[in-house]
Amino acid sequence: MQTQSKMQLLWVEKYRPRKIEDVTGNDEAKALFIEWLKNKRHTKKAVLLYGPPGVGKTTLVMAAAREFGFGVVEMNASDTRSEKAINAVAKPATSYTSLDSFAEGAKSLGNVLFLDEVDGIAGNEDRGGVNAIIKIVEQSLVPVIMAANDPDIDKLRPLKKVCLLVRFQQVRIPLIIALLQKICLLEHVKAEFEALERIAQNSRGDVRSAINDLQSLSEENNSLTLQDTMMLSSRNKDVSMDETLRRYFSAQSIVETSSLLLFSSVDYDDLLLSVADNLPKRYTDATELAKAFDYVSRADLFRGRIGTENWHLLKYFNNALAEASAVNPESYKPFTLITPPIRIMTLFWTKPKRSLLQAICAKIGAKCHVSVERAREAYVPYIRLMLIKKPRNPLAAYFEFTPEEVDYLTKMGRY
Amino acid sequence: MTIVLNSKGFKLPRLEREKFVNLMHLGLDYSRDTMLFSIKSYNNIEQVIDTVSSILGDEVVFLQNCIRCGKAFPCKGCSYIEMCTTKNLPFSCVCPQCLRDRKNFEEYLTKF
Repeated sequence: MQTQSKMQLLWVEKYRPRKIEDVTGNDEAKALFIEWLKNKRHTKKAVLLYGPPGVGKTTLVMAAAREFGFGVVEMNASDTRSEKAINAVAKPATSYTSLDSFAEGAKSLGNVLFLDEVDGIAGNEDRGGVNAIIKIVEQSLVPVIMAANDPDIDKLRPLKKVCLLVRFQQVRIPLIIALLQKICLLEHVKAEFEALERIAQNSRGDVRSAINDLQSLSEENNSLTLQDTMMLSSRNKDVSMDETLRRYFSAQSIVETSSLLLFSSVDYDDLLLSVADNLPKRYTDATELAKAFDYVSRADLFRGRIGTENWHLLKYFNNALAEASAVNPESYKPFTLITPPIRIMTLFWTKPKRSLLQAICAKIGAKCHVSVERAREAYVPYIRLMLIKKPRNPLAAYFEFTPEEVDYLTKMGRY
Repeated sequence: MTIVLNSKGFKLPRLEREKFVNLMHLGLDYSRDTMLFSIKSYNNIEQVIDTVSSILGDEVVFLQNCIRCGKAFPCKGCSYIEMCTTKNLPFSCVCPQCLRDRKNFEEYLTKF
């Protein structure tokens, strides 16, 4: 019975690493995390492990806890993680010592709080969850560990400020092949190298899915040929903006860029702006640059025509953008990418000033019975000149400008 | 020309203060004793490699560490380089020789 249950066990669970050194890949991230866990005087009380799924974040936490003798209090995506639920489960875990540590011969160092998939905290059910976590991190007496696939979502921004960030990368194909070889040896599966190679390539850095594929293809007859792997469906993975831009500018052909754009999940408008920002860095030759901008403007034209419904035109947008990347592939030299787009950053940085100008125009509009737009275009330049000539102009009092607004009007640069 | 660097320690020409601070901010470390730069944090590794490339004016690649034989090797000879999202970045890997060598693999397994 026991043998049967062992045989039926998923290989992912059966070969889940029990020791830190057995976790495949991401050695640098592992070292950083372990250093943080060992250090009792943390500069940051919490750590956020982030990276694509199946690269060993949860496994590393479990293996490390086992090796260092920590008890793990875990909350994952299947639990409701509202403020109330987090305070009920996590708060006691971070404030009190577990009873296990008083047992005779106990080696426990206490608990760690592990919040898996924190980027999944969303919606009404999990209301107040992120704020509750931040409070717990600030007050916690035990290490708080979190894991996420995408740390760039807005709601996690305050959380990132209080955490040490540890980035996990996709596990490299040779490392996955090596792991699959090891499992084949232990499971007595006779596998062709090319078959393992194909499984690893298809997994796109996801160890968990590679092991699952290996088990599903080879468990029945203890052998695996390249032919057996032909039924594997390719896994489509998102490519981030940074990675998209990097691969876009280093692409050697239009075909390479086109396939990259197909895989990428970035916002098309942001991508267009970022490509336009970075083109002058990519092409130093004026003729090449002009040609590339010509393609980008064509892509922009198609983006406008696509709007929100004509997605059948997307291939033309992608083609035009791909052509801009391959004007002269030989001239590529690495450069520091400009991202996020300058236009968006400028809007972000000038927001306080624009709000101030809006308030000034609203005051002028109310007194002069004109719209805010008209006040901005027809009144502000003249009021500005009058204030420059005579800073204590009674006009300022008439329009009820604050000193900050007068200062802004007199020092503003252009209209 | 491609410049090959070892992540454990590499030299850079004298830098302006701003560039030096930027590199430290991105996750590099500098030893005054050895006058070598090394990588402390891998969170912004792509930006590190871009910045170092722009400083040196040439494409920069890092050597990889083989987890089986311990040798440092470049990504150039790898068959999976086109599919690798971390190509030329300084991470552990398995060198092409060790990956194909079954005897070497079984020897490696006996260590565990």
